[in-house]
Amino acid sequence: MAKPDEFKPDPPSENPKTEVDDENGDDVYEEEETEEHELDEEEDDEPEPQLRGRIPQSAVLMQQAKLQGLFQRLQTQSVPLRVHDVLIKGNTKTKDYLIESEAALFKNCTTMQQILEVSRAVNFRLQALEIFDSVKITLDSGPPELPGTSNVIVEVQEAKSPLSGEIGAYTKAEARSSTVEGTLKFKNIFGHGDLWDGSFAYGWDNLAELSAGVHFPRFRGASFPLDVRAFLLSQDWLQFSSFKERSMGLSVALLSSRNHDLVYNLGWRTLTDPSQLASRSVRMQLGHSLLSSLKYTFKVDRRNSPLRPVRGYAFAATSQIAGLAPDSRCSRFLRQEVDLRYAIPLGILNSALNLGISGGIVFPWGTGFKNLPSPLPDRFFLGGNSSPISSLGGPTTVWGYRTRGLGPTEPRRQLKSNGGDEDAADPGADFLGGDLAVTAFADLSLDFPLRWFRDRGIHGHIFASAGSLERLTQNAYKDFSLQKFVSSFRTSVGAGIVVPIQPFRLELNYYYMLKKFEHDRGKPRFGVTFSM
Amino acid sequence: MEESRDGDWTLVARKPYFGLPTACPVCLPVYIYLKFARCPFNLEINSAYPDSDQIPYVEGGTYVAYNNEKGGVIQQLKQDGVVDLDSEFSSLPEWVSMKAMMSSWLADAITYELWLGSGENSAKQIYYSDLPWVIGKVLFVKQVYDVKQRFNISKQNAEKKEEEIYDRAKAAYRALSTMLGEQDFLFENRPTSLDADLVGHVLFTLKALPEDSVIRAALLEHGNLVRYAERHKNDFLTSGQSSASASNFQPPPSAAQASSSSKPKRKPKREKTEEEKSFQRKAKYFIGAQLVAVLLFLSLLGSSSKADLDEDDED
Repeated sequence: MAKPDEFKPDPPSENPKTEVDDENGDDVYEEEETEEHELDEEEDDEPEPQLRGRIPQSAVLMQQAKLQGLFQRLQTQSVPLRVHDVLIKGNTKTKDYLIESEAALFKNCTTMQQILEVSRAVNFRLQALEIFDSVKITLDSGPPELPGTSNVIVEVQEAKSPLSGEIGAYTKAEARSSTVEGTLKFKNIFGHGDLWDGSFAYGWDNLAELSAGVHFPRFRGASFPLDVRAFLLSQDWLQFSSFKERSMGLSVALLSSRNHDLVYNLGWRTLTDPSQLASRSVRMQLGHSLLSSLKYTFKVDRRNSPLRPVRGYAFAATSQIAGLAPDSRCSRFLRQEVDLRYAIPLGILNSALNLGISGGIVFPWGTGFKNLPSPLPDRFFLGGNSSPISSLGGPTTVWGYRTRGLGPTEPRRQLKSNGGDEDAADPGADFLGGDLAVTAFADLSLDFPLRWFRDRGIHGHIFASAGSLERLTQNAYKDFSLQKFVSSFRTSVGAGIVVPIQPFRLELNYYYMLKKFEHDRGKPRFGVTFSM
Repeated sequence: MEESRDGDWTLVARKPYFGLPTACPVCLPVYIYLKFARCPFNLEINSAYPDSDQIPYVEGGTYVAYNNEKGGVIQQLKQDGVVDLDSEFSSLPEWVSMKAMMSSWLADAITYELWLGSGENSAKQIYYSDLPWVIGKVLFVKQVYDVKQRFNISKQNAEKKEEEIYDRAKAAYRALSTMLGEQDFLFENRPTSLDADLVGHVLFTLKALPEDSVIRAALLEHGNLVRYAERHKNDFLTSGQSSASASNFQPPPSAAQASSSSKPKRKPKREKTEEEKSFQRKAKYFIGAQLVAVLLFLSLLGSSSKADLDEDDED
């Protein structure tokens, strides 16, 4: 289920001279010297001179000229060539269908250039399966009776050790924040390219997760991968909202591609309050619930860089429906998030104006839904130490406000002091989140004049952000008005330095609150945000 | 009695069932205690947290008295000066010993019967009927295991432990029955928390446990205890019941409807009667119209045949 965005291999280069062969660095063009296939009818039929002992310099020069001519022809002219057959070698455990399905792109090739490009793509995709130590793609001549054809030989070397481990930073489909994760993987146990893993993750919001899962790149011949994970998750919100959340269940990624994600979650969720200080609204939600939900995410990111976008746009929309179970006693709600980012280059000092707006709404459904509250863990909370520029995860951040630091609150339980009737120290208030959330920001980034900073990507930025939360459930929507909602927006401004440390974006900022409300946890200060 | 900060007290308890305002044996005595104290309160139901030791709890504004603090909800309400019915009796040796007996022997008997005895179905209805099946099943199994651990029951000593628990319960019933006699209350004809505990225990045993329950059968042998509980049920529980609202997370219908008994049944009857009247009215009109039509037909037929006969005679 983890999407190791930052560790995906780069897509194949468009440079036709890039090697498409295995990691040993063998040059496909070097192999062509010894290849037997015919590239072109016009190709010189003279046999290549054998290199034995001393070779006349004129012969060497002629050979070089021929090769240069060949390269030039490959670059400038379309050399017709079809693939007759794809031969697979080296797989003792891996099923043929897996490699054949990745190499299916060769069938549509009609020219040499296309074959070379597809070779790079297939090599990249086979390497991305993480089950081979090396992948070598060779072109061989086709059958003599079929001129203008070639055979493609895909030679793989399966991973010697099925066990591997890694530590990384991920953004999971289900997480509300980024996590640092350690993973142990078992590869290709059944030969279907299956990857079994056990992992432990720790997130910035006191999130701890233990999970185990399996990834099938092409489950039963499907064109998309299948991920199944069992998870045990614990999140501590005692400090902010007087409850702890514990979840265990199953997560199935039904569809996962560059732009689309469809995930089914079945989980048993328990909210507890060990502190016994929770406010009334939180007390009402303590207990057990069953979550059976389908979550679809559409994401397109056309920015030049998510860490420092200078041009382009990004859009993400997430829809979640919970309550997909025959048992009507499970948790039922609808949740929708939308994110839009736009970067406008300004041309001076690599400066850019980044604009962004995010919105979200959650509402229960089912019998008596108007009187039901939305589930506390699924509401929107604003605040935290992450930058809204990088993330596309719904309305989460208003610069300068602490974690869950703004929005509706309710006083916690008041304890009586041991001295008698006098009350003990003020226990504070619980942040309850909101059913409707909107955030917006504007950020002007620019390079520093010094080259030392420019070389390292360190730049400055000036920003402004705003956000608000509102309750809609339990008939609160009847009192909702747009004017009142707009007037409840908190705003902040600031400036700072951005240090990109791949894959993170580190910001050292100064924040100033232009508008805040009584219980909001935000004040003029220096702060650090850390996001990816 | 101290007023709550907002003026409203709320008792959060488990769902009503078996004709009881709350079917949980721990929640019912608290409910009865507040009724004895004539303390106005709202009843809210929490069906999502059956394994919580915080429930029942009483809240008012920012004040909360949890059941797992300071000896229980009732004790906490007394200590915090909210409501105290035991001020004159709590130091009496008889009161203390009865309280100890009820909170140990009788409480253990109920716990054993509910989770390890014949009350398994009752337990499922009270605690897990509003939870998804999977969760309810797992929590039930966990609770049964916890109870066995608490009583230190194993395969070897199960029968012995059961006999011990039942014998203590029977001894407690005898003692309480002797002490109560035919009085209205245990001490000086005034309700105390001990009465709340006892009434709650007796009502739960009679209403919620099945007929083959051992402790139910033992309780029925003491008619004065049964009459005592029924009398207080009629006086305090049936009349002027507090409003109940289901926890907002759970489907409301079963909890809300269980608390108000007769009114919903009358409405369908009234509608049926009106429909019947309307139907009967229309039927009468129809029959009357048919009768008139028949009479008209007959009269017309009669007059035409007479005219024919007259014509024949003239011919």
